[in-house]
Amino acid sequence: MIVLDPNGERMRLMPLNIGPSHGATHGALRYMTAIDGETIVALTSEIGYLHRGFEKMAEQGTWQQVIPYTDRLNYCSAMMNNIAYCRAVEGMLGVELPERAKVLRVIINELSRIADHFICVAAAAQDLGSTTGFFYLFDSREETMVIWEKLTGARLTNSFARIGGLYRDTYTGFEEDVLNVCKTVERNLRDIHACFDRNRIFLDRTTGVGKISAAQAISWGWTGPCLRAAGVASDLRKDEPYFDYETYDWDVVTGTQGDVFDRLMVRLAEAEESLKIVRQALKRLKPGAISVNDPRIRVPAHNKVYQDMESLIGRFKTVSEGIRVPAGEYFSSSECANGELGFTLISDGTGKPWRVKVRPPCFTQFAAFGDLVEGSMLADSVATLSSLNIIAGELDR
Amino acid sequence: MSHDETVKVPVTATPELRSAAEEKLWVELAARFRAKRDAADRWGLMAEVKPEKFRDAVLYLKNTPEWSVDMLLDVVGADYLGFKDYEGPRFAVIYTFKSVYNPALRVRLKLRVAENGSVPTLSDIYEIANWQEREVFDQYGIKFDGHPDLRRLLNHCEFEGHPLRKDYPAHRRQWLSANDFLLPELEARLESKGYRILERSEEVLPSPEDYITGSCQ
Repeated sequence: MIVLDPNGERMRLMPLNIGPSHGATHGALRYMTAIDGETIVALTSEIGYLHRGFEKMAEQGTWQQVIPYTDRLNYCSAMMNNIAYCRAVEGMLGVELPERAKVLRVIINELSRIADHFICVAAAAQDLGSTTGFFYLFDSREETMVIWEKLTGARLTNSFARIGGLYRDTYTGFEEDVLNVCKTVERNLRDIHACFDRNRIFLDRTTGVGKISAAQAISWGWTGPCLRAAGVASDLRKDEPYFDYETYDWDVVTGTQGDVFDRLMVRLAEAEESLKIVRQALKRLKPGAISVNDPRIRVPAHNKVYQDMESLIGRFKTVSEGIRVPAGEYFSSSECANGELGFTLISDGTGKPWRVKVRPPCFTQFAAFGDLVEGSMLADSVATLSSLNIIAGELDR
Repeated sequence: MSHDETVKVPVTATPELRSAAEEKLWVELAARFRAKRDAADRWGLMAEVKPEKFRDAVLYLKNTPEWSVDMLLDVVGADYLGFKDYEGPRFAVIYTFKSVYNPALRVRLKLRVAENGSVPTLSDIYEIANWQEREVFDQYGIKFDGHPDLRRLLNHCEFEGHPLRKDYPAHRRQWLSANDFLLPELEARLESKGYRILERSEEVLPSPEDYITGSCQ
């Protein structure tokens, strides 16, 4: 297309479509750029390729039946979404979890966070042409996946949290497995820092690229590591502590520049902080109940159901009618790997949710994408996109 | 990269701080904007505001240093068709706000909207409102007055109807084929940045066989 630029100079721009099936558009996104040479002049984007009507589906079943759908939101850290959803419903019910359930949820959350951050940085490395970096980070992630398999029976879309507790207790040897993963994570972190910290190509591609100021990031509704990379020390685990996060010893990591480099490095540093939390949580892990003892909320175990009339009734009622969540409207958000994962729940007092609205963290980050990359090179848009960690599952729901 | 002393750290929100902040803010909202407290939210602060007072209320919340509610977390549509014992307009739009450095202050504003009704936009106050309002329009058909570009966001551009309405059957199937034409939007974006289009790209106008039916025609 031929245009007059703001100074009145005639120039020829080329519209260039990228995605939805492009290696750099993780999942399926599409953006259209108007480029002058290799410089992006304007960018618009289209989302919704993975829209599967999560919110409509959630209204069709009972409160518990939403849980497996939440795995598919951010599928790189599926169990974190379960936990965030269950925490929201528990907030409405006013449930206080047993100690072991809280500690286990913290361990699962933090291991998922490490795996999620590692995938983001690994994919970013791959997009920038570093396959070595990619495989360094996939190492410990694979070990985490094996733990998930042993714990839940599934690798990727695993649902472990239940409203009022957890699906089941851990297997024998869980603690040792987690400790071993911690060691691998440390080794991977050393490797990846050795690979990237003074790597000229990596630095050239990432520093000063896709910059955002703190004020802009807040106006765009950014949360999580991307906001912290812009220098805002906002983390729900510290700001509005839940699961006793305030009692663990760890720090909120912030960046200074809000560019691609900071976003990736904040993620790696957060993985270190998560390691601290996991190690402390393992020390606190004592035998005990993993779910609340209330047949109206948490389905009684099979061995009880076949012996005890009350448990049988409890199981029948909760499974066929759903948990009776008190009528009302509630908002709860938890700090997930990408930022604040919020659930707006509307209940009419029956066993089915009236409305479940997800506030996906990467939605706000992708909305700002055009503003981030306009004026930079086409290749920078790929680096920026991977640093935002767009997960199409939660972006499109 | 670790924690820097110069970074302003948000105040930890304790239940006491939270209820104190909500109490104080609630008094202000009721006095200035005749807000009604919504009893449905028994856990936090949700205030129902009239559409004509809404933008003033948001600007007050955002610009008063005491509150500085600087982040719009979410815009949520809701359809109350068939809700037990519900009287009033069919739809509601709920805005979830947060103050980044004072997380004890979370406030939600609710606007009730009749069918075919509209609410004022916030897209000039918060950048993110643009997409969030587009999503509510897409899912519920609620219009936002003054929105610069109110189009579908998550659903396909050929989609007919608004899927999250309670009277939209969950199992209805629609045949959708064409990609969204992003070129007109790209031109609009260029023009908003001060460029003037002299000659359009050849692909700008789709040929009739590119479309079947639907809202994008």
